Amino acid sequence: MTTYILRRLIQTVIVILLLSYFCFYVMTLMPGDPVELMIQSNPKITSEDVARLRTLYGLDQPAYKRYLNWAGSITQGDLGYSRTYRVPVSELIGPKLINTFILSMASLGLALLIAVPLGVYSALRAGSKIDYAVNFFAFAGISVPSFWLGIVLIILFAVWLPLFPAGGTFTIGVEGSILDRVKYLVLPTLSLAYLQIGTFVRYTRSSMMEAMRNDYIRTAKAKGLSRREVIWKHGFRNALLPLITIATLSLSGIFSGALITETVFAYQGVGKLVYDSIISNDFNVAMVSFIISVTMVLTMNLLADILYGFADPRISFK
Amino acid sequence: MHETRQLTDKEKQQLEQVLPMWKIVLIQFLEHRMAVVGFSTILLFVIIALSAPLIKMATGLDPEAQNPLKRYLPPNSTATLPNDQREDRVMLFESQHAEGLPEFRRELIEKAVVTPAAEEDALFDLVRKETSELQEGLKSIQHPLASEFSNMTKDFETRHLLGTDELGRDVLIRLVYGTRVSMGVGVMVALFSGFMGLLIGSLAGFYGGWVDTALMRITDALLSLPIMPFLIVIAAIDLNKVPAFQSIVGSQNESIVKMVVILLLFSWMTIALLVRGSILSLREREFILAAKTLGAKDSTIIFRHMFPNVIAPMLVSVTLGVGNAILFESALSFLGLGIQPPTPSWGNMLFNAQELISEAPFLAFLPGLLILLTVMSFNYLGDGLQDAIDPKAIRR
Repeated sequence: MTTYILRRLIQTVIVILLLSYFCFYVMTLMPGDPVELMIQSNPKITSEDVARLRTLYGLDQPAYKRYLNWAGSITQGDLGYSRTYRVPVSELIGPKLINTFILSMASLGLALLIAVPLGVYSALRAGSKIDYAVNFFAFAGISVPSFWLGIVLIILFAVWLPLFPAGGTFTIGVEGSILDRVKYLVLPTLSLAYLQIGTFVRYTRSSMMEAMRNDYIRTAKAKGLSRREVIWKHGFRNALLPLITIATLSLSGIFSGALITETVFAYQGVGKLVYDSIISNDFNVAMVSFIISVTMVLTMNLLADILYGFADPRISFK
Repeated sequence: MHETRQLTDKEKQQLEQVLPMWKIVLIQFLEHRMAVVGFSTILLFVIIALSAPLIKMATGLDPEAQNPLKRYLPPNSTATLPNDQREDRVMLFESQHAEGLPEFRRELIEKAVVTPAAEEDALFDLVRKETSELQEGLKSIQHPLASEFSNMTKDFETRHLLGTDELGRDVLIRLVYGTRVSMGVGVMVALFSGFMGLLIGSLAGFYGGWVDTALMRITDALLSLPIMPFLIVIAAIDLNKVPAFQSIVGSQNESIVKMVVILLLFSWMTIALLVRGSILSLREREFILAAKTLGAKDSTIIFRHMFPNVIAPMLVSVTLGVGNAILFESALSFLGLGIQPPTPSWGNMLFNAQELISEAPFLAFLPGLLILLTVMSFNYLGDGLQDAIDPKAIRR
């Protein structure tokens, strides 16, 4: 078990290192480097100045050398400086990470809260009209474009029925108020949760149906247990297993979806930061936020595998 | 009480009838009602996408024609060109068709279509009229310039069934052309990722050993990544800094090709896993052993004996892949990193719509609805196909 976790951890670290180099290289292929931006903003700059600046910032060196320089300063705790926000990257990332975490967890919780009962219910009444309706609802959730869902929610609940703010993270001036934060969270959470509900409903339904077909369910019924006990104690508990994996693995999907949802709702999270920094050529921020998002997802995947082992004693780690 | 009776001859015949595989699959598929609905919807969209140039001809609308004076028209409205712009058009027309012009004018006046103060004003007077009256008048003229002139005046008055967007472009015709781009990208990505997944999956499954290990490590790594941040990072690459790409593609359909390639990078993994799994189980089957004993080459075994058994489950995966590809394409285009305007795609039609939600909610609503409909249809189609080809689900 320990060796398994250790091996997976090492693998994960190697993958993150490879990806960070890949990302660094890709960034060199993006339009506009820092010096080019300086040229644009200063028409009096001479070509000697440009060459001097390039040497000063090390932009004349090949990508792998620049990467090593960058990685060296990262290990010393210097994440660099954001050009857009004019603050060190380390100051910028913290609050955004918390915001994204709140949004992801809230929507994951909401999605499970809605999807699991729906899935169980439609599994028990397979083939009924309600089952069809739930199925349709789930398919729509899988197929809906996340940004459009956000826009529709804004049209409905911020423009036509002005119940919630159309975007943002908190009202300026009342930063500490929890109620205020919740108001801003409702629409993004709804939007992000619905994207997951479809998958969860379908998995719950199929694994619940599978579980209810087992012989021990018949035995439990024959013993004269109440219907509720049969369903929840014998059926649902066994159906729960694949759900744990799906829920943890879906965090990667939530993170992907969060990028778009955060952008649509102007919610100050890491996803929006990744997008904004890439659009505005803020390379230091882009690198760090990208690596953080990848690391978060890979850690979650690792956690999912380990959790699964604990939940199902039949699985042995090799 | 049940009544026992002898089966009629017809019923006996039905029971003994042997159905070919495709018929069983078809019958199973037709029983899945939503899948049939989805298939019909997709067919409809494909027909619309293919007949886009026809629709453009029939309506006389151009997806890229801008009209700054007619922005945000509500659905089902008509836009008319203002008089000064009409006169500019006439001047252009007169300078282009100098010969024959006097006769054309004279005929117009003779037939009493217009009664200008001076002969030179004939065409200017003509374009001031209502469009229907104008076209009617031109019909009575035999002069060859009449038909050309009538063609030029065609877009003086345009009907916009679904209104116009932020640049005064007709929404309907843009949606029609967007269907082409979005569906085209989706189908291409799914097909290519099918090929790629088939290749990688079969290599890994057939040869095993270090090939398998290496390929599967890559597949697992790619599968575990958060796709959206990755797509955004790669989509932001400036293609001018990748010389080989530029020379192959050229600048015409650059953003479409770029989109297909990027989406392809992240969409072949599930198919590869699926193919590898089925090839691993096929490898142990007797008919493969028989082929090997008979001395068949590796390629023969893979192509002749294994692929036909892999195609059916792959078909489901590819169908579902189309929906996913459309979703990712539209998301990237929505963020401004996908299909670049003026080429319309369902995603980039929403790019500007978000800022104008209160002014033109309709504009933001329609393209997204089409995406939802299409992706849902593909998902239902995939679901139906899965049920249809699953031997466990066959009830006869």
